[in-house]
Amino acid sequence: MKLSSLLLLPAALLGAAPSYAEHTSNWAVLVCTSRFWFNYRHLANVLSIYRTVKRLGIPDSQIILMLPDDMACNPRNAFPGTVYSNADRAVDLYGDNIEVDYRGYEVTVENFIRLLTDRVGEEMPRSKRLLTDDRSNILVYMTGHGGNEFLKFQDAEEIGAWDLADAFEQMWEKRRYHEILFMIDTCQANTMYSKLYSPNIIATGSSELDQSSYSHHADNDIGVAVIDRYTYYNLEFLESEVKDTSSKKTVGDLFDSYSYEKIHSHAGVRYDLFKGGAEEARRRLVTDFFGNVQNVEVDGGKGAETNSSFEEEMVKLSRTIAELHKRAEEQEAVERNVTTKTETRKQQQKKIQQQVAKPLTDDSWWTKKIVGATALAGCAALWGLGSYLEGAV
Amino acid sequence: MSAQPLPSNENDASITTIAPKEEAPTSVRKLPPPEKPSDVRRRSHVILSFWLIVLLLGLPIWWKTTTIYRADLPLEEMLEWADGKACRPVFPLRISIQATSLQDQEAQNLLRLTQHALDDLNDFAGHHLRLQLGDEKQDSADNGSALTIRLTQGEGTTAMLDPYEPILDITYPPNTIPSPTASSSALATYIASQLRTTFAEEQATISYLLSTNSMPSEHRPLGLSPETAESLAKRTTRSLKYAPTYHLTFSLFTSGSLPSSWDIEMAIEEYMKPVLDVLSPIHNFTIDTQVQLYASPGVQNQVLNKEDLSSFINAAEWPLSPSIGGAPTINFIVFVGNQTIASASQDAAPTSQSWLIPQWGTVYLLSLPGDTTHVTAATLKQPLLTFTTHLLSLTGTPESGSLPLRLSTLARIRSADLLLRASSTLGSLARLAMALPSISIPSSVADGVTKTMSHLRLACDNLGGTEGLAHARIAEAEAERAFFEKSMVGQLYFPDEHKIAVYLPLLGPVAVPLVMGLINEIKAWRKRRRERAENGAEKKEQ
Repeated sequence: MKLSSLLLLPAALLGAAPSYAEHTSNWAVLVCTSRFWFNYRHLANVLSIYRTVKRLGIPDSQIILMLPDDMACNPRNAFPGTVYSNADRAVDLYGDNIEVDYRGYEVTVENFIRLLTDRVGEEMPRSKRLLTDDRSNILVYMTGHGGNEFLKFQDAEEIGAWDLADAFEQMWEKRRYHEILFMIDTCQANTMYSKLYSPNIIATGSSELDQSSYSHHADNDIGVAVIDRYTYYNLEFLESEVKDTSSKKTVGDLFDSYSYEKIHSHAGVRYDLFKGGAEEARRRLVTDFFGNVQNVEVDGGKGAETNSSFEEEMVKLSRTIAELHKRAEEQEAVERNVTTKTETRKQQQKKIQQQVAKPLTDDSWWTKKIVGATALAGCAALWGLGSYLEGAV
Repeated sequence: MSAQPLPSNENDASITTIAPKEEAPTSVRKLPPPEKPSDVRRRSHVILSFWLIVLLLGLPIWWKTTTIYRADLPLEEMLEWADGKACRPVFPLRISIQATSLQDQEAQNLLRLTQHALDDLNDFAGHHLRLQLGDEKQDSADNGSALTIRLTQGEGTTAMLDPYEPILDITYPPNTIPSPTASSSALATYIASQLRTTFAEEQATISYLLSTNSMPSEHRPLGLSPETAESLAKRTTRSLKYAPTYHLTFSLFTSGSLPSSWDIEMAIEEYMKPVLDVLSPIHNFTIDTQVQLYASPGVQNQVLNKEDLSSFINAAEWPLSPSIGGAPTINFIVFVGNQTIASASQDAAPTSQSWLIPQWGTVYLLSLPGDTTHVTAATLKQPLLTFTTHLLSLTGTPESGSLPLRLSTLARIRSADLLLRASSTLGSLARLAMALPSISIPSSVADGVTKTMSHLRLACDNLGGTEGLAHARIAEAEAERAFFEKSMVGQLYFPDEHKIAVYLPLLGPVAVPLVMGLINEIKAWRKRRRERAENGAEKKEQ
């Protein structure tokens, strides 16, 4: 920054609205919600999206993958250890580099909402948390069996469209996202995003109310359908048009590629939550959500030598300053030590004693005693009353 | 009742059915004997007591166990904080003037004039420089002043920042001392403008911070030009969110098997430790290092364009996220290879070897002779120096001024930032509590909110000083904990069908006999009343 420019600028110029166009990190939340062998295709859906976002540079630490079942190790799998999303079986989606964050019975509505709102315990490792901020773009992809305004989780529970909307609202309130692309492939999927009300969300789903979302094709050797149509055609677009992160294809292009002939249901898109509406939303790049585009700053401009001497100078400076600080602190410490040495020692001893004594002098000790005594007395009184009545009869 | 009556019942039945057997002829359908009034009364008492238990015991218990606990939150106050009404962020920076060569009277006069000049120049009430006369013996750090001006007599009017301490050396020719009666002075104006230059960046940053948050417009300074705002936006984008601790990961990646070791510890000690030391009042740092052989970058081109750089990191394969502890990680990567970065201007030879990834870290391309097995500390000097500079900019350190001044500015900017963030979290929590009536609010949240507000108040009162940062830090942590309270989750929305589905199987079987009993009882009561009325009428007629 140029200091002189700061000074010379006329004060009359009004503060420009800060531009929030830039995001600094990309996150993906990929959720499959159904288990059992005949739902093979849902896991394949999620895994193929997982592969795509990884191919486009989102690191595993920023992908939250939820898989309720393990198709690769299912005894009915004719190709153990693998998951394919295409009958040609060209790409093993399971591969040898996959990080599942929530698996099996960990995939629940509660955990999903906890993940989005980050209301998790201390014990939750960082890799299982959505550590986003107001500069993060998030891709939320969900697939499973759904109905009108709900999505079933594991045959046991369901998440409602309202719950989802409230979770997103909580994220927005806490500035946990910059923009969200919400994508859902399930029956009657478009009802799932109908209740959203938080800004900066682009939502898309595979089918309208009362429409099913169909599978694309089955693999006869695996014996079940391997991918859903909506996901299949999304993937087709991503594989053929978005080859790497430098792709300039927009979200609008992706949505335009959907058609009833291909998907066999009416895919829906919702732009109205987005600032700037459809026009602005359609202009977002596909890689803004599926890729990890970072706006890097290349060094240089100044000659490398002058730069390095400047840096060296700085290190030298800080060393001196640190030394000065240290000396000042030492001096202070010495002064303090002389006066308060004995005191601190006493305090320390006291502290130790307190720590040892703590379990015994618990605050609620007396209350507990009183409660116990009351309970005992009550029991005795009841017994007495009972025996008295018995005697009376 | 089972087909076979229980013995005791049989006994009862025999008592009550003896009488009709004797009276009624066997051909007529047997009628039950008339009930005794005491039995009727007993039955109504039974029904009444059931209903009383349901209404007085059952309903309150159901109500108590199904209501959602919502602790009282001081919503109004929380929103006031969020709107910036509760705290006016003011940074009264004290600046002491040391003028040993001047007489007291002269110094006072100069101070008055300079303060006037400063007040005239200043257009941002929140950031406000107050001058005071300093004592020679007192250390600048002790009296809480942000900057000390050391006035000395010299040839011409010059100003220079001391590199080691927050001191501004100003020399003046003897004849420029203002006379006691003068209403303006060139020297005073000069000092004022120097001060303003020194603090221009801090002012701009703080006013940018305030303007991006929801501060009411009267506290918001005007005069941020689009360019300034843009460069500040860029800088805030680059710097990481404040955390008390950062984790630094130094990684050596190489595409082959060599080099396999490096003197990173010594290099850090030599080239980065000093800076970490001076940053230590604001941040803690933990460090780990790693060497990865046979690592292939995401882009294999010989010459890397700017677009390539953003996909250079092979996020899928490089183990870059250690997930150690709870601290955010800053990555510093040395990649050994002979790739070069295409320079922006075509004619110049490529000079840059490193790039900074906002909020993430730095990559440095180091080209070494092919048979190097060990990277010495001397080789690491340039990379480490680059990392050090980038670390400062990743932590959000301002770019102008002397280092001590930059650091104290950083502390002030960070405390303002934390203050604003904690306030906005309070606002979010308040709005959430109002918007979601079915979310539970445990008492720990209310505690957290109270603590946050008391620390915010303290931070707000000490914004210019050193305690401000400590209080703001606690306030922010407490606000985060209150907002992310673990038990404030669960499904918030239950459709009515769900409620029916839960309650009907449970309450239906219980409710049917209760309700039917009540209806029968009321019917019988009305019948009795009618009969009694008819009897009464007959008696009257007779």
